[in-house]
Amino acid sequence: MLTAITRAFRTPDLRNKLLFTLGIIVLFRLGSVLPTPGVNTVNVQQCLKEAQAGDAANIYGMVQLFSGGALLKLSVFALGIMPYITSSIILQLLTVVIPRLEALKKEGQSGTAKITQYTRYLTIGLAVLQSTAFVALARTGQLFPNCRQPLLVNNDVFTVVTMVVVMTAGTSVIMWLGELVTDRGVGNGMSILIFTQVIAVFPSELLNIFRQNAFTFVIVMLVGVFMIAAVVFVEQAQRRVPVQYAKRMVGRRMYGGTSTYIPLKVNQAGIIPVIFASSLLYLPQLLVSLFGNSENPGPIVQWLAQNFVRGDHPVYMVTFFVLIIFFTYFYVSITFNPVEVADNMKKYGGFIPGIRPGRPTAEYLNYVLMRLTAPGSLYLGLISMVPIIALVVAGASQNFPFGGTSILIMVGVGLDTVKQIESQLQQRNYEGFLK
Amino acid sequence: MAIDTRGEAADRPSKSSGETVKKQRTSPALFYRQIVAELRKVIWPTRKDLISYTTVVLVFVLIMVGLVAGIDFLLTQGVLAVFGGA
Repeated sequence: MLTAITRAFRTPDLRNKLLFTLGIIVLFRLGSVLPTPGVNTVNVQQCLKEAQAGDAANIYGMVQLFSGGALLKLSVFALGIMPYITSSIILQLLTVVIPRLEALKKEGQSGTAKITQYTRYLTIGLAVLQSTAFVALARTGQLFPNCRQPLLVNNDVFTVVTMVVVMTAGTSVIMWLGELVTDRGVGNGMSILIFTQVIAVFPSELLNIFRQNAFTFVIVMLVGVFMIAAVVFVEQAQRRVPVQYAKRMVGRRMYGGTSTYIPLKVNQAGIIPVIFASSLLYLPQLLVSLFGNSENPGPIVQWLAQNFVRGDHPVYMVTFFVLIIFFTYFYVSITFNPVEVADNMKKYGGFIPGIRPGRPTAEYLNYVLMRLTAPGSLYLGLISMVPIIALVVAGASQNFPFGGTSILIMVGVGLDTVKQIESQLQQRNYEGFLK
Repeated sequence: MAIDTRGEAADRPSKSSGETVKKQRTSPALFYRQIVAELRKVIWPTRKDLISYTTVVLVFVLIMVGLVAGIDFLLTQGVLAVFGGA
């Protein structure tokens, strides 16, 4: 284990990638701590301390989790990676609905680039909306209802506009950082950044629990380790569909004749459905925080405030569960295309024993995938539910740091990243071995 | 007949028969049984794999948590030092 790490740092190529990723993480955290111009840092810190210690702590839990603690600090990267994720979900959903986007997607590389461009525009739009909302909240002092100190240095229009512009710019920088990690670093940029956000709030929450009750702390840690193991177990489970390749002569050489398999994971979708579902459910909270404090909130906002703000409300839980199952199927269907896989196999002379190449193969793959995704989606839903249910049963209302979502994100990204490092390491070492 | 075993020609008859089969929806009970049948064919990780992967993930997460916490602490101190006195 330790030798693997030293070896990883000894290979220059991999070392550069790792250091690059770490550098991006440092930059990301710097932006999450750096206050936006116009913010009274001392007052914000004080209010933050009061809010975290007070009863309102669990209301802020979700907000904190999804911004890596940056939002309440009113920092440059206050919005975190959420706008980018939300807009990529919206575009992926729209691809199914709008024929023009579907045509673009089928176009291949240039079309995908176009869709990415739209995603970025939408991100900026969302960022402007969200930052305006939060700056407005901060200005009127509703961000911390119990704290009566002015959060801004002054309340004129210029300051507010500056803050909105800075936060929006911060969001686009985050977007760029994420893409840089995907290009030149280790792992998927978006996942790495959301991983950083999730683990950034961990120490303070754990510390909170430890201060309240050391016994609970031990139990929480045990449950956490158990859940990590459970997630690893399911993530590693594969259904191996056997594929036999026909032998063929090309010139004087013999090719193929090997038998391999197509690995279909039980949870082929990974952690994306959970991220999608929770960021979608984050929208009502946003709406409530925007309009909920006005004198006369509309019936819709009131209903949302009653049912969707607290994570342990039945309506919220059911919606969350259904959304996860929906997104799992949705994401599997857009990432794994059985027809394409079957076509490729046919082209290279491969077949699944007992099933004809071409259409029947595609149908068979689809059959297996749909059957596997059912337990996969249930697993995702259940893991995300477990902590909430446990909280309700135990009657403990404090924020559970091992929320299913954060566990899934942590383990999913952790596994992916470690595997990617390992495969690159192997590549390197085999190369050195052969020379 | 020999031609029909390969390529498009073989696909076409199965297409028409496939459509008639597809019209019937799978009943929930059958779907459940099919799920169980597929799950039996799944290769689950062995105890050894599970332990090693879990430790690797744990170590990775702990290292990252430590790192990010350290960075955060330093940066927060720095920000307070710069902006706190104002």
